[in-house]
Amino acid sequence: MNTTLTLIKRPEWEYIEEVRNECNLFFKSHNFSENDSHSLMMTISELMENSIKYGTFSNPDAMVEILVKILRFQVQIEILNPVADSDKHYLHKLDRTIQWIRGFQDPFEAFIERLRLVSKKPLDDIESGLGLVRIAYEGKAVLDFFVDEKNVLNVSAIVDISNS
Amino acid sequence: MQKENLQIDAILVLGDKHIAVELRYNSKFSMLVRFTEEFDYTTGFEFDKLILEVDEEKIDLGRCRLFLEPNIDGYTGHITFVNDVYDFENLFFNQKIVKLQSIFSNLPLILSHKKDIKQAFKDYTSELNYDLNVYKNLFDKLDKEYANEPKSVKDSVQKAIIATEGKKFMAFLDKKLDELNALVVGYNKQEHENHGYYFRKQLWNIILCSKMMKRTNLKPRGYAGDSEMMRLIYLNDAQGKSTFSKLMHLHPVGLPGAEAVRNRRKLIVNKINTLEKDDLKEGKTKILSVACGPAFELQDIVRSPKDFEKLHFTLLDQDRAALYEAATVINQLEKSFKAELKVNYLTESVRTMLTTRELNKKWGQFDFIYSLGLFDYLTPPVAKAVLKKLYQILKPGGEIIIGNFHVSNPSRVFMEYWLDWVLYYRSESDFLELLDPEWKIEKSVYFEDTKVQMFLQIKKL
Ligand SMILES: Nc1ncnc2c1ncn2[C@@H]1O[C@H](COP(=O)(O)OP(=O)(O)OP(=O)(O)O)[C@@H](O)[C@H]1O
Ligand SMILES: [Mg+2]
Repeated sequence: MNTTLTLIKRPEWEYIEEVRNECNLFFKSHNFSENDSHSLMMTISELMENSIKYGTFSNPDAMVEILVKILRFQVQIEILNPVADSDKHYLHKLDRTIQWIRGFQDPFEAFIERLRLVSKKPLDDIESGLGLVRIAYEGKAVLDFFVDEKNVLNVSAIVDISNS
Repeated sequence: MQKENLQIDAILVLGDKHIAVELRYNSKFSMLVRFTEEFDYTTGFEFDKLILEVDEEKIDLGRCRLFLEPNIDGYTGHITFVNDVYDFENLFFNQKIVKLQSIFSNLPLILSHKKDIKQAFKDYTSELNYDLNVYKNLFDKLDKEYANEPKSVKDSVQKAIIATEGKKFMAFLDKKLDELNALVVGYNKQEHENHGYYFRKQLWNIILCSKMMKRTNLKPRGYAGDSEMMRLIYLNDAQGKSTFSKLMHLHPVGLPGAEAVRNRRKLIVNKINTLEKDDLKEGKTKILSVACGPAFELQDIVRSPKDFEKLHFTLLDQDRAALYEAATVINQLEKSFKAELKVNYLTESVRTMLTTRELNKKWGQFDFIYSLGLFDYLTPPVAKAVLKKLYQILKPGGEIIIGNFHVSNPSRVFMEYWLDWVLYYRSESDFLELLDPEWKIEKSVYFEDTKVQMFLQIKKL
C-alpha cells in the first residue's frame, strides 16, 4: 500500500476541505483511528491555512504542496509554499514561535501561555497565534521548518505513532 | 512610551439612556471622562455599562463608576470599573484590551491537567520534594553557623561540607534519579510530557536554587542550550551562593549528558589539529562551524602562530550574543599572539541559511565542516536539507562531522523532567538515513567515551 500522499493545491481557502477529505481517506486506508486521523487533519489544515495566509503566490502557477508520509514509528507531514525575500519578518516570527513551543517539554505550557496572550490581543489583530501551539499540543506534533535555495518554505510536523 | 494618547469616543448606558462621552488616559487603572452634554450625576454614581467605539467596533467594558474631579484639562472626572480590572495603559497606547483577571481564566484547565498523573509518580514527587526541603534546611542552617567568618574561612568550610555531607547528598540525588528513571520507563511521549510538567510544578522552588536548572527552565535567550549554559557545562564547578545551591548545580553538570558535551569539544579540537598537520596543503584550511555558539573550542584549536597562518574559520549562529562572545574569544587570541585570525561571521538561523548569498556563492567551499548541538533540534526533513547543503559546500576530500545525542542518553529523563530540555534523539540508523544514497562518500558513526554523544562523519570522495 502506498505510504506517501502528495497533494498539490491552489492557495485558496476552499481547497482546505478537499485536502482534509483526501487525507481522511488516506488515513482510513491505513487503519488510523478516528481520533488520530482527526488530529492529523487538524494539523494539516492549520498548516495549509498558514501557507495561504503567509505564502507569496505572485506567480499565478504557484501552489501549496502537501506531503504526508507514514513511516513505522511516525507520520511526517510537510507543507510547502513559495515565500518572497520580503517575507523575512514572517519567517523570523515562525522561527521564534517554533523554537519557543519546542522549548517546553510539555506543549501544554506553550498552549496555556498563548491562550493568556490571546486574551490580551490587539483589537484589530488577525494573527491569533494559536495555530502552531494547537498543532504541538492537540496534534502532538514536533514542528520544524526550513527555506530552500529556491525560496520555498517547508513547514513540517512529525507525529509519533509508536504507541498506536 | 509615547504619552500623546488618543481620545476614544464611548457611550455610557443607564437603563435605556445612552450618554455620549469622550475618554482619555488617566492612570493605568482609570480613564478621564468628559460629558458632551449637560449632566447631574454625582461622585460614586454607577452606570450599567460603558461601550467603547474603536474602529467602528463596539466593545462593552461592563459596569462602571464615576468620580467627579473637575478642571483636569476640561475633563469632568474619572471612571473605574466595578466588576473588571482593565489595563488602560495598554488600551490607550497599544490599542489592546487587557483584563487583568484573564490571568486566572485558564486556571481550571491547568488544575485539570494533573488528572492523568499516576499515583506512584505523585508519591515519588512529593517524597522527593519533602526530602529535598529537609536537606535544604539543614544545609542552610549550617551555612548560617559560619556566615560571620572571614571569607577565606567561609570558603574552606563550605568546601569541606561539599566534600563530606555534600557527597552523601549527591549520592542521594543519584539514587533518586535512578528511581525516577525506573518509574517512567514505560511512559509514552505524552505521559512523559504530562508528568514532567507536574514534576517541575512541584519542585519549582528547588529548581530555582540551581543555576543550571533555573537557566534551562527559564530559557532567557529563548532556548536552553545557550552560550552561558555551554560555559557552565565547560566550567563544571560549584556555582551559586549557598551550599545547597552549589550542590544542586554540581550534580547536573556532572551527569553523563554534560560530560558528553565536554567530550565532543575535545573531539573536534583533536580532529582539527590532525587536519592541520597536513602541511603539504597549500593556502588556508577553511573550516565552517554551523550553529557555532560561543565557539570556545577555538581556544584549544588556535595555539600557535602557525594556526593563524593555516586556519580560516567561518562561524554561523542565529544568536547574535553567542557570535559576539565568539568574537571576544578570537580577539583575546589575536591579542596574545599578536596575529590576525581569518574569520567570517554570519548571524542567521540554520533554517533560513540555505537562501543566503554567503553560503551559496560568496564563501565557496570548505575543507572541514562541523556542527555540534544543532542536529539534536532538527527533525528529519530539516536535518536532511541542512546536511544536503553542507555536502554541497564541502570540497572533494573534505570532511563533515555532525553531533547528535543518542536515543540511549542515560541523562535523558533527567534533562526532560528536571531541566525541561528536550532534544531530537537519534539512533545510528536514524542518523544514516539523513544521507543521500547518491552521494559518493566514506561514512562512519562513532561515539565519545560516555556513549551519549554520537558523531556522523562523512568524507566526500
Ligand atoms: N507558512 C508560513 N509562512 C510564513 N510565516 C508563517 C507561516 N506559518 C506561520 N507563520 C508565522 O508564524 C506565526 C504563528 O503562526 P500560527 O499559525 O501559530 O498563528 P496565526 O496564523 O497567526 O493565527 P491562527 O493560526 O491562530 O489563526 C504567524 O503569525 C506567522 O507570522
Ligand atoms: Mg495559523
